[in-house]
Amino acid sequence: MNWRLRSARAALAIVLVMVAAACGSTSSGTGSKGTITIAGFKFSEGSVLMYLYGQALAHDGYTVNYKPNLGSREVVAPAIENGQIDLYIGYAATDLEFYNKGAGEATGDVNATVAKLNQHLQTQKLEALTPSNTIDTNAFAVTKATADRYSLKTLSDLAKVSKQLVMGGPPECKTRPFCVPGLKSVYGITFKDFKTLDADGTLTRAAFANGSIQVGLVFSSDADLNSLGLVVLQDDKHLESADNVVPVIRTAVASDEVKKVLNAISAKLTTPDLINLNAQVQLQHQDADAATKAWLDQNNYGQ
Amino acid sequence: MPSGLFLATQEPWILWSWLSTHGQLFVDATVQHIELTAIAVVVAFAISLPLGVAAHRWKVLRNPVFTVFGIFYTIPSIALFVLLIPFTGLTVLTAEIGLVGYAVLVIVRNVVVGLESVPADVIDAANGMGYRPYRRLLQVELPLALPAIFAGVRIATVTTIGLVTITAVIGLGGLGELILEGLVSGFRTPLVVASVLSVALALVADLTLAGTQRVAVPWSREA
Repeated sequence: MNWRLRSARAALAIVLVMVAAACGSTSSGTGSKGTITIAGFKFSEGSVLMYLYGQALAHDGYTVNYKPNLGSREVVAPAIENGQIDLYIGYAATDLEFYNKGAGEATGDVNATVAKLNQHLQTQKLEALTPSNTIDTNAFAVTKATADRYSLKTLSDLAKVSKQLVMGGPPECKTRPFCVPGLKSVYGITFKDFKTLDADGTLTRAAFANGSIQVGLVFSSDADLNSLGLVVLQDDKHLESADNVVPVIRTAVASDEVKKVLNAISAKLTTPDLINLNAQVQLQHQDADAATKAWLDQNNYGQ
Repeated sequence: MPSGLFLATQEPWILWSWLSTHGQLFVDATVQHIELTAIAVVVAFAISLPLGVAAHRWKVLRNPVFTVFGIFYTIPSIALFVLLIPFTGLTVLTAEIGLVGYAVLVIVRNVVVGLESVPADVIDAANGMGYRPYRRLLQVELPLALPAIFAGVRIATVTTIGLVTITAVIGLGGLGELILEGLVSGFRTPLVVASVLSVALALVADLTLAGTQRVAVPWSREA
């Protein structure tokens, strides 16, 4: 056998060894009280809420796995239904309208909204816990220049000129009742065009900046709207419903103790707290988990 | 444009003070990125080699193999990962099904092309020397096809490194997660640094494979 064939064999041998080494790594985790996997939605506040509730559980002795930036409900819902995650922190009205497929059952009454939500969650072996008083609704913003030009203060004002304007928001906005369809049915607002961007993120800001949209979906608890020169239009006909922060959990892991921990956070958290936490993360680039840890410490959580 | 709009754009491309305290994030993400890529390419290779050999030997298999993986290749990756969640969850398996599927087409094509480019007179000579088909495949055809196969593995590796960033949608993206984090929070530093690292990773992987090829398959230099 000449050297070429020998080195050919060597090459094949190397390849086979690489194939044999292909096995993945295993992970292990044992917690004293059990493991809970919590997901965060793919926007800044999603991470804040995930760490806030997650760290409270960790403080109580649970082992907590975090899944940050896990897309929108379209990713999170199937993941919690098949037990890949145990818990996410949702928003009462938006979650209800997601699970009832946009039936329009959500109202401004948070307790009624959560009760309805629980009816839909029951079949999925999920439940929504006691809602927080903290609210973060969808809001619609324009730049100050646009607001001045058309003298816009409310969404009713927007309805008069909306046909000349381009709206931007995340892809699901086109079908969610508290977004484009709701604007049409409640205010009669139709836009010249809809640009698919993100949920109050970089793309939306960039689109505002270069003028490719005039109206954008933002979140009411967003900390930097003012400093960005954006004006939120008043929801004068109450399109937005009770989007109170509410933990959604798999019934199988919702023990009394877990519920107690989560409900305590919901009870303590306020809308200004959340805006403040969002500001620390979005504007000062603090790590979300560090900001929420400071909040928990300040509130003497668990002491 | 109103003044004060888009503070974020006045921020430096890289905030070094932040980076200096968050280096570990990038180390962990890079390691995960390499793991996801290595598993995908190695498994794809293990599938592609026998599949390519079979498609070369039995011509009837060729079109079905190319068509099936060709169609797989056209499925948008974000959709694929999300569609798999109900079945395989937010696991490495979900990520790898997609990554392996995309890589197989690239490698299997090169295996077939490589085997087909073996000159007919070389095969005749091997037959004349009394090689049986199995031994001829192992000792004559595959070694001569190795340069093409290596080229396929290199393309698959570089493609996979880019594709891994998309698996961030299921929370497993290596450097993609930091890119997503930067996009979501409007923070340039993780976005820029993770993108640069991802490109660097692709370059290093390609050069490493090229080097390996020179050492392990010296005859490819003549090809």
